[in-house]
Amino acid sequence: MDSGLDVILPRVQKPARYTGGEWNAVHKDRGSMRARFALCYPDTYEVGMSHLGLQVLYHVLNSHPDFLAERCFAPWPDMEQELRSRGIPLFSLESRTPLRDFDAIGITLPYELTYTNVLSMLDLAGVPVRAADRAPGDPLVIGGGPGAVNPEPVAEFFDAILIGEGEDAILEIAEAAALDDRAVALERLAQIEGMYVPSLYRYAPAGPGPRGAVTPVDGAPARIPRRFVADLDAAAFPTRQIVPFVETVHSRVTLEIMRGCGRGCRFCQARAAYAPKRHRSIETILRQAEEAVEATGYDEISLLAFTSVDYRDIEGLVSALVERFGDRGVGVALPSLRVDAFSVSLANKIQEVRKSGLTFAPESGTQRLRDVIRKRVTEDDLFAAADAAFSSGWNRLKLYFMIGLPTETDEDVGAIGDLVNRLVAFARGALGSRRGRLQIGVSVSAFVPKPHTPFQWVAQDEMETIARKQRILQQALRDRAVKLSWTDPQVSALEAAISRGDRRVGRAIEAAWRMGCTFDAWSERFDFGRWERAFGEAGIEMRDYANAALPFDAPLAWDHVDCGNEKEALRQEAEQALGGEQS
Amino acid sequence: MAQIICRYRKGEEARWISHLDVKRTLERAMRRAQLPLSLTEGHNPHLKLSLGPPLSVGITGDAELFAIHLDSAVAPDALKERLNAQLPPGLQALEAWVVPGYRKKETFGEVDVAEYRVTVRGGPSGEELAVRVVELLARTELIVQRGGDRPERSVDLRPLVLTLSVTGSRDDEVEMRMRLKTGSHGGARPQEIVELLGLGEGDSMVCYHRTGLYASAQETARPAAQVRRRWSHTRGSGRRPA
Repeated sequence: MDSGLDVILPRVQKPARYTGGEWNAVHKDRGSMRARFALCYPDTYEVGMSHLGLQVLYHVLNSHPDFLAERCFAPWPDMEQELRSRGIPLFSLESRTPLRDFDAIGITLPYELTYTNVLSMLDLAGVPVRAADRAPGDPLVIGGGPGAVNPEPVAEFFDAILIGEGEDAILEIAEAAALDDRAVALERLAQIEGMYVPSLYRYAPAGPGPRGAVTPVDGAPARIPRRFVADLDAAAFPTRQIVPFVETVHSRVTLEIMRGCGRGCRFCQARAAYAPKRHRSIETILRQAEEAVEATGYDEISLLAFTSVDYRDIEGLVSALVERFGDRGVGVALPSLRVDAFSVSLANKIQEVRKSGLTFAPESGTQRLRDVIRKRVTEDDLFAAADAAFSSGWNRLKLYFMIGLPTETDEDVGAIGDLVNRLVAFARGALGSRRGRLQIGVSVSAFVPKPHTPFQWVAQDEMETIARKQRILQQALRDRAVKLSWTDPQVSALEAAISRGDRRVGRAIEAAWRMGCTFDAWSERFDFGRWERAFGEAGIEMRDYANAALPFDAPLAWDHVDCGNEKEALRQEAEQALGGEQS
Repeated sequence: MAQIICRYRKGEEARWISHLDVKRTLERAMRRAQLPLSLTEGHNPHLKLSLGPPLSVGITGDAELFAIHLDSAVAPDALKERLNAQLPPGLQALEAWVVPGYRKKETFGEVDVAEYRVTVRGGPSGEELAVRVVELLARTELIVQRGGDRPERSVDLRPLVLTLSVTGSRDDEVEMRMRLKTGSHGGARPQEIVELLGLGEGDSMVCYHRTGLYASAQETARPAAQVRRRWSHTRGSGRRPA
């Protein structure tokens, strides 16, 4: 270990975040590689190592004889300060190579509030944060991930952004990164299906907020189709998953059983960002489970899907997994159980090995509003599912709601309180002698309008309105069995503004970062005052992006991204939902 | 049913991981090694694994201990080999031995003395440090404050320092050895002694390595590797449970 790090590590929190060496981490000979990637995640090690996408790309690149991938995560502010004060450039975990010495820096875009970390990582690596300022010797900076469906807020920081899924595209990207000449490599990247090269496009703002069109220059395609793998069963999947030393958000085998969602809730961006719905076969999942348990030593298998119970034979799959792994002390977890398809037998099967948390997402308190958002769940579904859960031995449930949904009234909000209170009364009856152990977690987030959804034009509630609605719930939910939590309205406002952001919002992100904002998703780091000043410095208003209703007929900053759902169809769905309230 | 005790090394590559992380890493390695591991009953089955005295983050050691319950007998050397094939760099099983008889949980409660090798680079000379050591040992009490965020309390480390000496120096590097009381009945940390010696300031580098764990209840302290003899002798002699 070089002595600079030896001095730093005793001074920082959780030094094992920065030292690598985990089981299944891959070390290859750098010299014999045609392209070297630093795969970066703009959040802490613990968060990033729970992101399956990163491990998929790591696996695909390292499985290829000519390519190498190493990892890097955003250093916590204490580490950032130590690195800066000693002039140590940001380095990879595997070989402690400075990021600058890679051919490409790949950065995941998981969530809007991680974008300042993208800038701090590039800056710590000694790479200019704006693509326009990079020189021929600089690595290619390539983005991708869920946030890429609206790439505009980060467009000026990236040389290229892949829209959609990366399993197949990453090898094409690696071929481009293997080219010596930066300009030639960029040309090659631009030819990859799904690849957006922001420098080949120009944004012409047409009014406040994200109104305006992004149009190609130099003959680039007008629209960039979202990339996806056709056959999930045949797609590459890492079974030799890296086993972190430190406890991460998900310390377990993660198996993706299904991608996409057939539900079509109108607020949800995932239906555009992960379409179409695809299944992995039970045979493939069982084989991957066997390999992954053997290769990792984990004692839990988590089945990943937006709605795992929509998997075509979830009962058969869970039964097969429990049968195979139960006596080895390996549990099965379904992190995303849906209330309407939940069944007693499924609950019991999971219980056989280990109790995992049950989560239901009714989203709103009234049927009227559930119809508006197209959440096809009824109250009867919720109570039937709760009944099944309680009679199978569960004492705890977690419920997800959203406030600030389009057309919502205070009565709709009050109905959430009413629904939860009736559920609590019902649960006490169902639990009998176990009633004292009842816990209902109620998590209330604020609606955030997202690009490529029917609600992309809808205004987010003002922060004061969200706060008032939160108080209504606080008043209504006073039972000791209920634990109410909500998101900070300021966080939701910023999330909305970046989510519907354009390149001008990118300038605000850069200004916020220069003022010291990083790790904005961490409440102890979030500084709304700085963000307001940053938007001011960029010459724009946050509310024009978050709280404004956008006209249906205006071009929007993300229209050039083709997620497969036509704008006209989204508009019709919006009009149907809103009943003419928005024009 | 069988129980095996293993002495292992926490080396350079693994020194930044915490005690709890070491435990999880051992658990996963043993699962990968497909050893006949005993599991606890209940909804949340886990391995019957206990670890010896924790090693602070940043410190290496090769006297580290764990005990594991197995459903069927495995030759200690075979366990060591199979485990080593599954351990990440920085962790290595050094020797293993069977504990005769059966105890619900091995706690290593008798281990109460730890020996460290401490190297200081860029600090005072060996002669200077030797003088400081003599002065320190001459004192009748060594009061330090402990507690961190909680209310501080005073602890006298002097009775917890069994031996302390400068054992070598080369270039700008000085090596010390110290034997300290450890464990739940009160112990001293090597970092505290280093601080009392006025080291570790500025950019001088201090490296700690635990070289031995001992059970002082024996007439002469023996390296942990030999503690097994005593354990095997005391089997069934009414030893208190944890």
